[in-house]
Amino acid sequence: MSYVIEAKKIQFKYSRTLVLDKISFEIRAGDYVGIIGPNGGGKTTLLKLILGLEKGAGEIKLFGTPVAKFSDWQKIGYLAQKSPVSQARFPISVQEVVLMGLGYDKTHKEASLENLRAVRKALSQTRTLNLAKRIFSDLSVGQQQRVLLARALVSQPQLLILDEPSAALDGNSREMFFNLLGELNQKHGVTILLITHDTGEVGKYISKFMYIDRELVFFGDKEAFCHSQRVAEKLGSFAQHTIDHLHNHGHCPLGCTCVHAADKQTAQPTQTQGETAHD
Amino acid sequence: MISEFLSYGFVQRGLLAGSLVAVICSLLGVFLVLKRLSLIGDGLSHVCLTGVALGLLTQTSPLYMSVPVVLLASLGILQIMEKIKIYGDAAIGIVSAAGLAIGILITALAGGFNADLFGFLFGSILTVSRGEVFFCAVLLAALLLFLLFYYRDLIAASFDENFARTRGIAVRRLNVILITFTSLAIVLACKVVGIFLISALIIVPPVSALLLAKTFKQVLLFACGQSLLSVWIGVYLSFLFNIPSGATIILVNLLLLITAFIYTRLGRGYKKGDAKNVR
Repeated sequence: MSYVIEAKKIQFKYSRTLVLDKISFEIRAGDYVGIIGPNGGGKTTLLKLILGLEKGAGEIKLFGTPVAKFSDWQKIGYLAQKSPVSQARFPISVQEVVLMGLGYDKTHKEASLENLRAVRKALSQTRTLNLAKRIFSDLSVGQQQRVLLARALVSQPQLLILDEPSAALDGNSREMFFNLLGELNQKHGVTILLITHDTGEVGKYISKFMYIDRELVFFGDKEAFCHSQRVAEKLGSFAQHTIDHLHNHGHCPLGCTCVHAADKQTAQPTQTQGETAHD
Repeated sequence: MISEFLSYGFVQRGLLAGSLVAVICSLLGVFLVLKRLSLIGDGLSHVCLTGVALGLLTQTSPLYMSVPVVLLASLGILQIMEKIKIYGDAAIGIVSAAGLAIGILITALAGGFNADLFGFLFGSILTVSRGEVFFCAVLLAALLLFLLFYYRDLIAASFDENFARTRGIAVRRLNVILITFTSLAIVLACKVVGIFLISALIIVPPVSALLLAKTFKQVLLFACGQSLLSVWIGVYLSFLFNIPSGATIILVNLLLLITAFIYTRLGRGYKKGDAKNVR
C-alpha cells in the first residue's frame, strides 16, 4: 500500500543532543493528524525532516518517493510557525507572496490568468482577498499568517504540513482557520499534518493524534489517544490540564466516545490498539 | 570644468570602473540586505586586507591575490552558518576578525604600511587599470545574466528560505553563487572606495531604495540610481577639492539616504497600504 508519508527509524541529533529517536509511522491519504507534545520535544524538527529541510538518519518517503529525490512539491503545502518577515520591509504584494506557492516557471513569464485565478481562490478561502494588493510586510502578524495559509493552499496540495499555524490568530480567525482545514480534509480529502496545542478547538476535526516527546509516544485514533496510559503519564509531566480538559468536563472535546470524569476515577487505563509500543 | 575633468583617461577609467562596481554592489546589496546578510560586505572587506597584504608580501597583484582569499572566506562563512548553526552576523564577525588579524600580521611581515596598502585601505579610484575595468564589466555582465535567470527564485529565497526549498528551489546553490559574486565585487570595490568603506556601498543604496520603492524592480532600479549618482558626484567633488574619493562617494551616498528618509517622513515615497504593487 502506498502512503502519503512513510517514516522509518528516523533519528536526528542536534550537536550531541538526541532530538528524535527511532520514529516510525505511516500517514494514509485523507488522514488529519494532530501532532502534540512538550516544547522541545522535536515536533518542528520532525516536520522539517519530512520536508527535507533537515537531514537525519532513517528513511522518509513522500508519496512513495524518498524525500531527497522528491520533486513534486506542488502536492505539498507548508505553513511555518512564524512569518518570514514581521516588521522588516519587503517590497512584494500579498498576491505575489501567494503566487510563490505555485512555484516558478523557469521561463519567468508574468503570472498567467489561470495562476491569478488560483491566487484569488486561495485568498478568498482564507478571507484575505481584500488584502491582495497590499504590501505583505505591512500586514499584522495574524493577517500575514492567513496570507501564508493561502500560499500553502494555492497549489491545491494533497498534503498540508502546518506548524502551529494558529498561534498568531485571534479567536474568529482561529475558528475560520480550523473550519477551513476541516472542510479541506473532509470534502476534498486533503491529508493534514498539524502541530497544535489547541487540542480542544481542533480536536473535533482531527482523526489521529501523534504524541512526540523525542520518541513516538503515541500514534493512533483519537479515541485510543484518550485512553492511552502512556499519554496520560506523559501529559502529567507537561500539561495535565489537557487530559483534564478531555475528561473532567463531562464530555470529550475531541468527540470520542471515551469514558468521562466519573468513570476515569474507577477505570483502569488499558493498553489500546492504536498505542505505539516502545521499549 | 566638467569637460576638462572628463578629458583625462584616468578619470574616464575611474568613473567607468566606479559605475560598474556601484551597480554590481547595489544589485547584490538588495538581496543581501533582505536576507539579513548585509554585513557580509564588511566582514569580507576585512578579509580582503589579508589578500592585499599577501599580494604586497609576495609582490604579486594584491587585487588578484585577494580573489581566492575572499572567496574562501565567503564559503567559510556559509559553512559556519550551516554546520555550526550560528547566526549569520556572528559567522561574519568570526571570519572578519580572522581576516583582519591575519592581514595585519602579514602586513607587518611585508614591511609595514606603505602607499600601496593605503590605496586599498581608503580607495584609489583614479588609479584603476584597464584590466580592472574589464574585470568589472565581465562581472556585471555575469551578474545580470544570473539575475535574469534566477530573479524570481532569488526573491523567493530572500523572502522565505524554507518555503523556497519546499518549492524545489536550490537555495544553497543560489546562496553560494550570490556570495561568490559578493566576494568578487568586494575585491573590485576595495580599489574604488577602500576596504574600510565597501560595506556602505553594499548597504546604503538598497536601504534608501527600500524607503522609496513600491515594487521589487523599483528597489533594484533606485538602488542602482543612487549608487551611480554617488560615484559620479563623489569622484567629481574629490577631483574638484582634492579630497579622498572613496570617503566622498560614501558621504554622498549617506546624504542621499538622509534625503530619502526626510522625503518619506514628509509623506512622500512609499506609504503603508500602497496598492500599486501588483502586476
